[in-house]
Amino acid sequence: MRPTRPPQRRPRGSLRGSARIRLRVGFLIIAMVLSVFAGRLVQLQGIDPNSYAAMAAAEGMVQVSLQAERGDILDRNGKPLADSVDGMMVVADPLMTSDKAPELAKFLATRLDLDYFSTLKLLRTSGSRFEYIARRVPATKATDAVDAAERKGFTGIATRPDPIRDYPAGDVAANLVGFMGTDAPLAGLERTFQTQLAGHDGSSRYEVGGGNRIPLGESTIKPAVNGTDLHTTIDLDLQWYTQRVLSQTIEDSNAESGMAVVMDTRTGEILADADAPTFDANHPLEAPDDARGARSLSDAYEPGSVEKVLTLSSLINEGKVTPRTRLSVPGELDREDRPIHDWFPHGLIHLTLAGVIAKSSNIGTVLAADKFAPGQLRSYLTRFGLGQRTDIGVRGESPASCRPTASGHQVQDRIAFGQSLSVNAVQMAAAVNTIANGGVRVSPSLIEGSATTDNGVTVGTDTTTTHRVVSEKAARDMAHMMERVIDPDVGVAPAAAVPGYRVAGKTGTAQRVGTACGCYDGTFTVSFAGFAPADNPASPSTWSSRTPATAAVAVRSRARPSPRS
Amino acid sequence: MSSPAVQFRSRMPRIAEAAVERARLTVVPRRRVRAARVPFVTLVSLVLLGGVIGLLLFNTSMQQASFATTSLEGQASTLSAREQTLRMELDVLRNPQHVAEQARRMGMVTAGSPAFLKLSDGKILGTATPPDPTQNVRIVPPAPAKPPVLNPAPTYVDPPADPSGHSSGHSSGHSSGQASGLVPGASSDGAGHGDGTKNHTGHNNPTSN
Repeated sequence: MRPTRPPQRRPRGSLRGSARIRLRVGFLIIAMVLSVFAGRLVQLQGIDPNSYAAMAAAEGMVQVSLQAERGDILDRNGKPLADSVDGMMVVADPLMTSDKAPELAKFLATRLDLDYFSTLKLLRTSGSRFEYIARRVPATKATDAVDAAERKGFTGIATRPDPIRDYPAGDVAANLVGFMGTDAPLAGLERTFQTQLAGHDGSSRYEVGGGNRIPLGESTIKPAVNGTDLHTTIDLDLQWYTQRVLSQTIEDSNAESGMAVVMDTRTGEILADADAPTFDANHPLEAPDDARGARSLSDAYEPGSVEKVLTLSSLINEGKVTPRTRLSVPGELDREDRPIHDWFPHGLIHLTLAGVIAKSSNIGTVLAADKFAPGQLRSYLTRFGLGQRTDIGVRGESPASCRPTASGHQVQDRIAFGQSLSVNAVQMAAAVNTIANGGVRVSPSLIEGSATTDNGVTVGTDTTTTHRVVSEKAARDMAHMMERVIDPDVGVAPAAAVPGYRVAGKTGTAQRVGTACGCYDGTFTVSFAGFAPADNPASPSTWSSRTPATAAVAVRSRARPSPRS
Repeated sequence: MSSPAVQFRSRMPRIAEAAVERARLTVVPRRRVRAARVPFVTLVSLVLLGGVIGLLLFNTSMQQASFATTSLEGQASTLSAREQTLRMELDVLRNPQHVAEQARRMGMVTAGSPAFLKLSDGKILGTATPPDPTQNVRIVPPAPAKPPVLNPAPTYVDPPADPSGHSSGHSSGHSSGQASGLVPGASSDGAGHGDGTKNHTGHNNPTSN
């Protein structure tokens, strides 16, 4: 019995143990496994659950940025000065393209008008997985090219959205509209009204399977808010014509630069604002830096004799003189520090006030301006809008300067004939427009309706203000005197005549302060301001339905062009 | 089972016998009504099958719609891109500069001043002047001046005094070989292309020497 028992008991007792022990061991193992699970659960849910949720969501989830379309900049007739077009960038993965680089480069160079060698270099860039091959390509052209390349068996090139800002008119109004850099606007209205034009990008998230959106899958859309169009008062055709005439004038007179502003007499809307030399907004970097701004607002110049219009109309308004007031004008007038001369040598001559304007006599103007009470001229000039920003919505406007008369009698004398004060072309156009508009100054505007700049200033025709500066009679007398400037018999500017129109205007030649020495350096600003039709411009002419308009032109000349004014 | 009932009855008064008789419960054989199982199963399986197939079809049609959406969206974006490209081309075409250049090419000139006819009294206001093509506004800016690299000053070389002196100056047979190669090439080769290449090599060789 003894030898047989132990073999029977051992397998039962020592190998499996009692049921209780087995149960305990089993529970222990289960508890250990469960605690591992619990630990993992705490790790997943307790510590940073969002990153795991995001990873789960990222599987098959697509996030697309919905790009807001940039608002157009339009002229007064709705023709685009700047518009946005769907564009694509063509990008390449050099790791995949380097094998067939020469063939692909040849293909892309012909399809997308690229340079073969630089494309080849990009396609072969070692160690890179992303290269821009072409940017701002019209969408159809880019997708056609890439599809054709894929059909030919090329791999590793793709398209991505890249909106194009197109300036269909090229250099027309480029000085005002400005231009875009790679991502942000760099100048002009594009930059001033960036918030309005840009809009807000939206986004869309949805699940994708095999390139198609999974129906009933998770999907959220935040729609893009497109930018709002900016309507300007510019007339594209007139702006173009003004620019061409201005640049021709500058070439012919071998001048440095010039600006011309055309303004609607009654509403103050700027119809054209040309600068020369200017730049092509589609290729802004090809132009020199100083050609890319709006000179008509940023450059202040001394108006010269054009300013006599403001001096004399103020005098007439005060009742101190009439167009028929006789003045004895000596050949030279000694004032405090230096004598004042006229542009033409003469002895003692007798001129009426109208003759002073027609002949543009400095001495005559100074003698007439002596009738002002101290400070009166300056307050008139301020009411004409000189020395204050016009705030039409263009960046970098110079307020110019209208110095206080306290600095001496000589200065007031010089101001009376347009030196020792500066204006910008839009200010001058608005001031002369006051005469054209029957003595009421209309504040100039460049934006149709109203728009808010990024600085929070609201500008536009809705904020136009008007105030009377001189009486209607004073304005009419002045306009008649200005017509004689154009008169071929007595005036100095018969070339400004337009057959069939009564034109009133005034020329000016002012010595110019050079930037190098800060003194009059022998260069001149030649300017002209005038309006047509001069017969009752405040109401439409009887036989012409043309809009009455005022123009101011200023040209920076290297030398005194002709002894006028 | 019947024995307790028998005992119960024996203890009952006679008067209640009828009522007891009426109230007696007997065990009836359980009547199992077997509803027809087949129609129900068929119905359920049909509903199930219909549901599954319907869901499948619905899902498929949704997928189909999704495919269609994707392709139509692609088509729409292609078409809108096409439209925008065309609009861009149109804007370029109606750009005043382009219109003016076309007009000039067609021989149009800047208009002279018109005269106005008053219908009320037949008076003519102003004088009509014919346009003067020389007064046209220049619409094309002058070409920019070439940098000196691209526009070198011409170099003037005095021709050799006489051909005999030239051949004697170059003593080697090399120059005579060139001369013999140049002359027949320029004179004898009838084909234009052969002529050109010969001339070209003839010009190149002396400069490379």
